[in-house]
Amino acid sequence: MFGFIFRRILMTIPVMGFVALFVFSLLYIAPGDPAAVIAGDQATPEDVAKIRAGLGLDRPFLVRFAEWFFRVMQGDLGTSIFTGLPVSQMIAQRIEPTLSLMVVTLFIAIFVAIPMGVVAAWKCDTWIDRVVMSFAVLGFSVPVFVIGYLLAYAFALQLDWLPVQGYRPIKNGVWPWFENLILPAVTLGFVYIALIARITRASMLEVLQQDYIRTARAKGVSQKSILFLHALKNAAIPIVTVIGIGVALLIGGAVVTESVFAIPGLGRLTVDAILRRDYPIIQGVVLMFSFVYVLINLLVDVLYTLLDPRIRY
Amino acid sequence: MRDNLARPLTEQDVVVARELPDILEPKKRRSGLVGFAFRHPAIAVGGGVLLIMFLIALLAPLLGTVDPSAIAPSKRTRAPSADFWFGSDMLGRDIYSRVMYGARVSLTVGFGVAFFASLIGLVIGLVSGMVRWSDGIIMRVIDGMMSIPPILLAIALMALTRGSMGNVILAITIAEAPRVARLVRGVVLSLREQPYVDAAIAAGTRMPKLIFRHILPNMLAPIIVQATYICASAMITESILSFIGAGIPPSTPSWGNIMAEGRSLWQVKPFIIFFPAIFLSLTVLAVNLLGDGLRDALDPRMAKRI
Repeated sequence: MFGFIFRRILMTIPVMGFVALFVFSLLYIAPGDPAAVIAGDQATPEDVAKIRAGLGLDRPFLVRFAEWFFRVMQGDLGTSIFTGLPVSQMIAQRIEPTLSLMVVTLFIAIFVAIPMGVVAAWKCDTWIDRVVMSFAVLGFSVPVFVIGYLLAYAFALQLDWLPVQGYRPIKNGVWPWFENLILPAVTLGFVYIALIARITRASMLEVLQQDYIRTARAKGVSQKSILFLHALKNAAIPIVTVIGIGVALLIGGAVVTESVFAIPGLGRLTVDAILRRDYPIIQGVVLMFSFVYVLINLLVDVLYTLLDPRIRY
Repeated sequence: MRDNLARPLTEQDVVVARELPDILEPKKRRSGLVGFAFRHPAIAVGGGVLLIMFLIALLAPLLGTVDPSAIAPSKRTRAPSADFWFGSDMLGRDIYSRVMYGARVSLTVGFGVAFFASLIGLVIGLVSGMVRWSDGIIMRVIDGMMSIPPILLAIALMALTRGSMGNVILAITIAEAPRVARLVRGVVLSLREQPYVDAAIAAGTRMPKLIFRHILPNMLAPIIVQATYICASAMITESILSFIGAGIPPSTPSWGNIMAEGRSLWQVKPFIIFFPAIFLSLTVLAVNLLGDGLRDALDPRMAKRI
């Protein structure tokens, strides 16, 4: 197994290389002249030339990519055009809120979505199933910021149960930290819950048709342990996969959720960077999130072998 | 037991089947559009709502709207009333008119991205699946692209270009096309194993004919289903891009940028966000329903599973 894990880790290196290559090529894929766009409408030709040189657009692609790649490997993501600070430093300052938001969302989503999917599969073709599935379709159809405003309007403005906006660092106490994260996490978790619940239901339906489930029923095993011990364990692989893949939704959604709830995390950093046309920051954030996403899916692959000893690569 | 079986059959052993009509009512199957709608309610409802949205987009000037960019500073942020059905925004523009015209942007982006992403993904997936030596390289690049969360990819591209509808469609297409390419490649690889494809190759069928006669027709169903999901996700992505200021400039009303303008006032004037949100969610819901319905109708094996 350790051999497999080692090989799997080695396999992520070329993927990360291609991610880096692609993120870097965005400067060349984008239509029009990126330097002129970043410089803004009032820029003089000298400004544009300066930015072009700063982005390295005046030198050959491969030379520039090699240089950039080596600097990224050393943790140097470039310098912000607006503040002049190193991008890696600006990202490091903003990691805590985003990480908190995503971890809380992950926990809420998993604890809500999996029971939902299991119950929907158990009560297949009843009204419970239909309610869960309707929720799932709805979750895919309402943009995350709309959910955010709806929840904030209902639970913060009208009912006054939770804070409207803002973030409290965890070092100032766990409850204030958590209290501020409940609404954003539920908002961000909406699509994620829909996705996980849908796959859980599908995977459970498949497993519940197996012979050993019928045998367990015949033995008189209780419904609860059939569902959660016999079936869920064997339905776990697709569920774990989609939890990993869905992190992409969480990352994209975090950018928006942080804007709605005024959380000073990486999402806010990105949105502010868009308004200031501060491309090095956007590039750095995209690269970092993509690496995290690759690592999470590496973790998922490793989890497979723990969940299902039959899997051997 | 054995003796019983060995004796010749008597009258009582033979169970005479009753005539079929007594047991099974002949299944009434309505024909025509109504029958289709009853058999596939998801397609009917989704398609119906989508049709209404198309009509709104097409007939926006005739639906009692005023100029969506007409500014009236004295009538800013009015609540919904007889004059302003959906209220007015920070510049006094009529939100009802902006929402009606906004349908054009969302539908164009959704269907534009669905079309171009499917087309590009189809070509890349076909090449990857049919041309053996290219598969490794193409799939590595696609793995790399798919490791970038699509919204971030679109944001990064929009940060490098001017906000316009064409650029938004391009950015979301680049973010969505790898998914189609991977789906198409998977289908091609499984179709290649089919005996009829082997037979066609053995009969000397040339590559273009092989693709257009034998591979493509069998791929249409999954691509159409995938295209509807891409359409839904593109409309959501457009609204997110516009919402964070990386999308379509406010001079062209889109459901996303109407909501973006209501952002700072949402606590006191929630209606600015509410109306475009309802229209956007309804449209995306309709497209998703249509996708689910098409999936069940085109691939009955998948029906009711996911």
